[in-house]
Amino acid sequence: MNAPFGRWWASALAAALALSVPGAARAQDATAYFKQNCVSCHTIGGGRLTGPDLKDVTVRRDHDWLLRYMPNPKALIDAGDPIAVQLFQEARGVLMPSLPGLTPDMADALISLMESESKLEKSQFVGVQVSDRPFTAQDIERGRAIMRGDIAQLAGGPPCLSCHTVRGVGALGGGRLGPDLTKVYERLQGRKGLSAWLSAPATTTMQSVFRDTPLDAEEILPVVAYLEEAARQGGEDSGFGRVTFLLLGLGGAVVLLAGMDGAWRKRFRAVRGPLVEEAGFGRAHTRGGIR
Amino acid sequence: MEVRSQIAMVFHLDKCIGCHTCSIACKNIWTDRKGAEYMWWNNVETKPGTGFPTEWENQEKYGGGWQRTPGGDLQLKSTDKRRVVTNIFHHPHQPSMDDYYEPWTYDYQNLFNAPEGQDQPTAIPISMVTGEYIDIKAGPNWDDDLSGSPVYAENDPNLAGLTEQQRSQLSAIERLVFFYFPRICNHCLNPACVAACPSGALYKRGEDGIVLLDQTRCRGWRSCISACPYKKVYYNWSTGKSEKCILCFPRVETGQAPACFHSCVGRIRYLGVLLYDASRLEEAAKSNPEDLVEAQRSLILDPHDPAVIEAARKSGVDDAVIDAAQRSPVYQFVKVWKLALPPHIEYRTMPMLFYVPPMAPVMAQRNGGRVDGISQDFFHDIDDARVPMQFLANLFGAGHEAPVRYALRKQKAVRWYRRMLTVGDVSQETASRMLREADCSPEEADAIYQLTSLCTVDDRYVIPPAHREEAIAMLEDPMEHKQGAGFGFIARPARGE
Repeated sequence: MNAPFGRWWASALAAALALSVPGAARAQDATAYFKQNCVSCHTIGGGRLTGPDLKDVTVRRDHDWLLRYMPNPKALIDAGDPIAVQLFQEARGVLMPSLPGLTPDMADALISLMESESKLEKSQFVGVQVSDRPFTAQDIERGRAIMRGDIAQLAGGPPCLSCHTVRGVGALGGGRLGPDLTKVYERLQGRKGLSAWLSAPATTTMQSVFRDTPLDAEEILPVVAYLEEAARQGGEDSGFGRVTFLLLGLGGAVVLLAGMDGAWRKRFRAVRGPLVEEAGFGRAHTRGGIR
Repeated sequence: MEVRSQIAMVFHLDKCIGCHTCSIACKNIWTDRKGAEYMWWNNVETKPGTGFPTEWENQEKYGGGWQRTPGGDLQLKSTDKRRVVTNIFHHPHQPSMDDYYEPWTYDYQNLFNAPEGQDQPTAIPISMVTGEYIDIKAGPNWDDDLSGSPVYAENDPNLAGLTEQQRSQLSAIERLVFFYFPRICNHCLNPACVAACPSGALYKRGEDGIVLLDQTRCRGWRSCISACPYKKVYYNWSTGKSEKCILCFPRVETGQAPACFHSCVGRIRYLGVLLYDASRLEEAAKSNPEDLVEAQRSLILDPHDPAVIEAARKSGVDDAVIDAAQRSPVYQFVKVWKLALPPHIEYRTMPMLFYVPPMAPVMAQRNGGRVDGISQDFFHDIDDARVPMQFLANLFGAGHEAPVRYALRKQKAVRWYRRMLTVGDVSQETASRMLREADCSPEEADAIYQLTSLCTVDDRYVIPPAHREEAIAMLEDPMEHKQGAGFGFIARPARGE
């Protein structure tokens, strides 16, 4: 098991079969997992985000209940578990997702982690500390620029616009790969939730894009400011961008074809046909043959 | 001096009867295949007329041949290195099927299967491209014998420069006139098709100058089709490759005349070897329009000149080829007698097919009750001929009358000389004077008469032995595959590999 190949093989098997493999690296794995998957909705001692503050959660909740809830929250809500339903309502209908790799063993490790972190004076998962200062017009403008990619992100991540659209971001709108972000400020319950999400996005897609190029804390504030402004302006994307895009495409094609027709107006078309037409025999030739 | 040999041709238009036997002979051998139905490597056109494809001589539209830049260099009209790229998906000078014609056959079954009706059933024309019934709108020889027609004859590009009166007379009833113009690939010395090919599929064969198209290298770009001003390269829509006249090289290599020559009813065709100076070719092709005919003629070397013979041997021309060049009827017609002229030399491809211009019907003068053909100026009828001199000059003299006039005067003089000898109604004095004025001696007149009227097959076709083995040795080493397996292995078999 000391060979690298053996270790890899063992961990792959453990993950695949969800076997309980107690190891020294367990706590470390849990920390990394928590950072990657939990901090966008939860803090430990930093107050409520989308999900509740997890400080002393092991005191509030039964260990077995946590073990049942964490891997599949939806099943518990569907089953009518009163605590689960209450949590669902507190989160204003935002469902805690079933996370990949959250095996019973990992859940156990996470519970241990939460327990030990709760005892600390200040947990490392206290969450991003976003300034409470009111948004200024410059913030909004700067957020818009970051959003559109006019200002490059410090870590070099892609601009939001390549996958998302926001109402009023530009004539052509943004990308349609990700959801419309016009109301995201309300959906993620304001400044704190949105900031937490932006510091560590929890979805697989966002993770794969931003794992290596996370948004800087200095960038999160303006983006949040801009999205707050967008949500205040209200209204979903009307589809105006889509129509504009189509019309621009059609118009561009027509202009291009007309330009080509002009540039090659002397091109060879036909010789014999026009000759016959000019001599006034065109109609006789197309009158239809003998059947 | 860099001597090369070229198989060249003369068509004597005064003898062509427009029977199309040549076209059929060629079609039966070479182009009776799918995709090649519309190709006529040999065709016979009526002049004045627009020919095949329609109005092929109008290079304003087809953009074929070479042009001289202001700097005096030659460049293709249809393409160059830059335009090969920009026109890669659309060639602006490509003729369409409608400019040729849609090949068709007939649905003969309809003659037997047609339902009972008021009329006799007919064989309905059916397209050989789409297989659908079609209305025939054009054919390969659509304006055959149709001179005077307002659609075709009046649009002949060679009518440029004619006066209104001359034009109207050409379509006036009882005055209109036509002659036949049989055409094959000219196997040019400066072929535009070879220059235009982006794939290097077209080449001019070293030993006899036949221009061929390698079917394995052709990629169907069709640059050759627009580049050839004579429109003698055709695109096979079935194989996706272009094809052209091969001058029946399998026949020529075995000592036979090409099929169109062999089958010629009027015996108008002559085939022989010319030795020419390749080092002066470029200079000649850049000449001024009025000098082009003479410049091309000056490329042709005297095969009896010892210096030429020596230089020819040095560049690998076989003695048998030199001997054939000395007996070449083409050399006599083109260089010695100056009777045969290249078609549209202004395209600057230096065609190696020459035409003896036709003697058109004479506008006779009515004197009292009888038609009088004789006037004091014995050559008057050349200028009074129904075919205007300018028309022939546009065809055979790059628009300049001098070479055409010279050829016609000499033909005229030979006729009168023979008339003196056989009919006897012309005085010897008159005949001698005409010969003198036409730059011709009695001996030359006899020779012209002999080769024009009494020629045998051996006189008309002087084909040298092929010597393919020497031609191949010029390009590749015959010992290259020695010690090879001999069964298609290029690499020598070796152990341990």
